[in-house]
This record gives sequence, structure tokens and C-alpha cells, in this order.
Amino acid sequence: MARSVARVGIVANPAAGRDIRRLVAQASVFPIAEKRNMITRALSALGAVGVNEVLIMPDGAGLTHRIVRALRAPLPEGQVWPEVRFVDIEPGDTAADTLDAVRLMVDDGVGAIIVLGGDGTNRLVARAAGEVPLVSLSTGTNNVFPSVREATIAGLVAGLVASGKVTRAEACFRNKVLRLSVNGVPRDLALVDLCSSPELFIGSRALWRADGLDQLFVSFAEADAIGLSSIAGLVRPISRRAPFGLWLDLCPLERASRVIRAPIAPGIIVDVGVETVTTLTPGAQVPLRLKRGVVALDGEREVEFAPTDQVLVSLAEDGPFSVDIERTMIVAAQHGLFVRTGGSEISAASGAA
Amino acid sequence: MQLSKADLLKAYRMMKTIREFEERLHVEFATGEIPGFVHLYAGEEASAAGFCMHLDGRDRIASTHRGHGHSIAKGCDVHAMMAEIYGKKAGLCGGKGGSMHIADLDKGMLGANGIVGGGPPLICGAGLAAKMLKTGGVAIAFVGDGGFNQGTTAESLNLASVWRLPCLFVVENNGYAESTSSKWAVSCDDFTDRASAYNMPGISVDGHDFFAVYEAAGEAIKRARSGGGPSLIEVKINRYYGHFEGDAQTYRGPDEVKKLRETKDCLMLFRKRVEGATLIDAADMNKVDTEVLALIDDSVKKAKAAPKPTAADLLTDVYVSY
Repeated sequence: MARSVARVGIVANPAAGRDIRRLVAQASVFPIAEKRNMITRALSALGAVGVNEVLIMPDGAGLTHRIVRALRAPLPEGQVWPEVRFVDIEPGDTAADTLDAVRLMVDDGVGAIIVLGGDGTNRLVARAAGEVPLVSLSTGTNNVFPSVREATIAGLVAGLVASGKVTRAEACFRNKVLRLSVNGVPRDLALVDLCSSPELFIGSRALWRADGLDQLFVSFAEADAIGLSSIAGLVRPISRRAPFGLWLDLCPLERASRVIRAPIAPGIIVDVGVETVTTLTPGAQVPLRLKRGVVALDGEREVEFAPTDQVLVSLAEDGPFSVDIERTMIVAAQHGLFVRTGGSEISAASGAA
Repeated sequence: MQLSKADLLKAYRMMKTIREFEERLHVEFATGEIPGFVHLYAGEEASAAGFCMHLDGRDRIASTHRGHGHSIAKGCDVHAMMAEIYGKKAGLCGGKGGSMHIADLDKGMLGANGIVGGGPPLICGAGLAAKMLKTGGVAIAFVGDGGFNQGTTAESLNLASVWRLPCLFVVENNGYAESTSSKWAVSCDDFTDRASAYNMPGISVDGHDFFAVYEAAGEAIKRARSGGGPSLIEVKINRYYGHFEGDAQTYRGPDEVKKLRETKDCLMLFRKRVEGATLIDAADMNKVDTEVLALIDDSVKKAKAAPKPTAADLLTDVYVSY
């Protein structure tokens, strides 16, 4: 697909990687300075593969300020950065910033969005990204959806896809998604796991205690995952591409048919009682057992519900698109995009395909 | 995090008392009857309440120049606080301290503090005492974003970490050190970035959300009580009034405060949450509102009518013989 301008969006959540799990566990810390460094490395890569313009979500937490300072400094020798534009939102330093910024990026025709955050940040981007594929880099706490990759490589693959040098068909895959509705109205989604708990309040958002967890739904479950989905992953691993998910009814240890020792947060490995395990097929609507409590989406408490609410969970196959970083670089290598022979140009570095 | 109905009403009363105390002072200060400076805490109530709801008689707090909220949350008598601010003999410090020096050691309130960054060294002492005497107590310093840039704070963070003291350093980041935006004056953008340099955990919480503060505070206090050492918690927050009463606030956007009151008022958010979850009836909270207004009204009337310190009081409580 030919594009006259190759445009890429960058969403970096300044708050990712600094929640209460630094206090109650030994979760890693991602300083804003490092997020700034990751963005500048991605900009170098985006420039190297011919991306013309990069749209960045502004923030009030200091990241924007850091990027502006980096843009004013002389570029390292031999580097060409794309034009950088901050999308036109008024940052309130809430989740709404991400939704608003991504909508504007999609309207402006970005060909890929680089996401710096954890599962929670990617969940927000996914809500607004439509068909635009995500290149997800881990800077959060429970990182199952995004991968721990070097930002330079993320910049290269985002640029290759946005400029059409590697096609979407070659580079992208579609994720499953868990959808939550309250009283018949779609409310939110989860990319990896959705869990109900009798806690009464969203509070500090993160869910790191196993006590009282009632039901767990997963779109996929990896045995080597961190977070709540690891409970399912250690019972029955399910790949991202499998056409179904899993649903577990949890219970106190003494009533459990099996007890799973699972790493539900960084540094927190606990025993969780499992009552039943059921395959979750796309389209099936499952009501929650609890009458009052909270729903955690990708490890963060997001929705409080009362006895008057009817809460339903379902699995859908029309989640966000992701760029497969490894596959994209293999395709680029197979096409010789980074190879110069004789007097030819490096084709990866040209403008949009 | 399960809170009983009694806990929820206690938290609401605490925040409402702070709010009405400050709103009334805003009005009364303009009459010229109150001596000295006042720095109002309105808008930040969920921070003081979220931490102090976990505290008991073993625990100590140190406050800032913006100290009314912490004092009320730690249990200082509202009548005696109001009398102190009016400079009356019935005040907590005999009317000789005023707003910026309110203290009540019997309640574990080590004092508001006119020195920016003055609280952290005090809580290192209180934390050391708790540790050596094995009281199980914790010590909390509330510090502003300006105070957190002071050398005293840096030294205290280091000392608390080296001695593994049961201390919490709470940065109430309201975005302005007096009139200087923290965006211009804080090297690291986010105070939690500094925690790892002192080998302690650091987290950020939304200071408009009582439940977020309460839960984070509970975990940090539990950690400190059990010998886990100090923590740094940044509470992202906003103040409704100027740095001091009379501040023209030319450094703030035209509708900044109006928007904050409409969308991020911690009391409004609290009511919405507990009513939505059908945990407390609106009538119960309306009753608290009425009682709090009566309390504040009475405290102002009595403070105005109360006698001032006499000349003989001038030299009392000034020197201590050891």
C-alpha cells in the first residue's frame, strides 16, 4: 500500500511502572528520564527508515518537557529525525489523555503506534487504535501484552510497517480481547486478563492480593507470564493465536480442586485455589458470580459494581492489531531492506513505499 | 481494602472538617482579624485523611506551613486550633504560635513548620525513638514539592534509610513551590524517581482519590511498623487557594481552580463513590455536613470572643531548663 507520508504515533505513559507494586512487591521502576531516552532512540530508528512525521502524546508529568529539550539539542552526527508534533490535547494526566491522543493519531493517518507502558497502557491504546497496529514496548509492571525489546528495534519495525516497506499482512497479527459490559452497555476491555474481586473500591488500582479473587478470564495464558494470567497459564497454557480463551472459578484453598502456585505480581508468588476451568469461546456471555465488588482489567482495578448491576464478560477475536517485531525484521532481512550492494541505496532508508 | 461504614463516615467527617475549616478561614482572613499568614489546605484533604486514618497514639507526624489539614486529621482540637490562629490564649500554643506553628505533642502532631523542609529531620528523631523504644509507632513527614527540594529532606531520606527507620516521606505535590511550577524547579519530574537513590520504594498516588491514598498509606505504614524501613510516597494533588491568603495567583491558568473544583474535588468524588456503591446514605453524610458547619461556626465565635495572651505570657514556653 503506497503512502505519500509515513507517519508514526508514540504513546508513552508517564505513570506506567510506578504504582503501589513498588511498595508491596519488588516491581521495577521506570524513571521518566529512561522513557525519554527510549523515545529518542525510537526517533533515531524512525528517521533511519524514512518516516517523515512522528506524533507524540503530550503529558503534564515532564516527559514532553524532556522530549522538547532533546529536540532542541544538536542531533548525533549522521542522524536524521522525523518531524515531531505533539498531538493537540490538553493533558489532564489521566487515562483520557491516552484515549484522546490515540484518536487524533488515528485521524491523522498514522501507520503504526509505538506504545511505552504495561498491559494497562496498551489496553487504553487498544480501545482507540482501531485498525492501526501497535508496537508495544514494556515499561509497566505486569507485562504480558508488550514485550521487553530495545526501543531502536521498535522504531525500525514501526517505520517499516508505516511506510509500507513491510506489508501489514507480513508484519501484523490480530489479538483477542475480553469485553466487559455493565447493564447491557459495553464498558471496557482487557487484553490479557479480567478478574473479579470482592474488594469494594478501585483504590490504588493494582491487584496484588490473591485473597478473595473470585473469577479469572484470560484471552491467552502463557506459562512464563507474570500477573494474574499466570494462574491460567500454569493450569492450561493458551497461545495468543488460539481461537479461544479460558475462564477459571477461583475459591479458598481448602475448597480447591487444585491449588496453583503462581507469580501474580513481580516478586509475589502465592497459592491460589481453583475450583473449575472452562474454555471460553468467542461470543459466549458469562455473568459474574459476585454481586458486589470490583473488576480488574489487565491487573488493575477499573470498574466497581453494585448488586443492582448486571456484569457480563465475553471473548472477542477483533482486538487490536500488533506488529510482530521479530517477524517484521526477518521479512526486512529477506527483502534485503538493510543491505547495500554496489551503488544501490539502502532501501529501508528511502521515503514511503 | 475493606472499610466499615463507621470508617467511611469517619474519613468523610475528617475531610469535611478540614474543608470547612479552610473555607471559613478564607472568609475570615479577609476581614483582617487574623494575625500573621495562613496557608490553606483546601483541595488536599484526601492526603491528610488517607494517611492519618491509619494512625494511633504511638504515631507522630510533622507538617508544613500548610498544616491545618494534618493537624485536624491527627486529632488536634478544632476549637483550640482556631483560637491559636486568632492568636488567643486558649489556642493550642497559647496563641503565640499562630497558623504556622500549631503543634500538639500529646496528639503526636510535632508541628506545622515555618521552615520549608523542616519536618523531615523531626520525623527521623521520632522514628528513631519508636524504633529504639520498640513502640511499633511510625513517623510521617508531610512535605511540599518545594520542601522536597531542600537539603534537609535529602539528609533525612538518607538517614532514615541508613537507620531503617519507620518513617514515611509524603510529598504533597500540588504543582507549585509558592509560585514556581514544579515543572521548572524539580530536576527529576517525578519525585518517586528519587526513592531508589535512597534505597527505598517510591510510588505515586492520585491525591484526589481518598481510597487510592488510604490503600497506599496503609501498605507503607504496615511495612514501616513491621521493620521494613522508610518509603517515599508522592501524592499528586492540587490546592484551591494561593500559596498564602492574599496571593494573587497570577501564575495559574484563568479557570484552573474552577475546573479542579468541578472535576477533582476529593469530597465530591468520595460521596459519588460511596453513594454509588450504596455503602452510605446521602442523609448520613448530609448530617455530618451540618454538624461540621456548626462546629466550625462555634470555633470561630469562641475564638473571636476569647482573650489574648497577657504580657506575662510572653516569657512562658520560651526557654526550657534542662
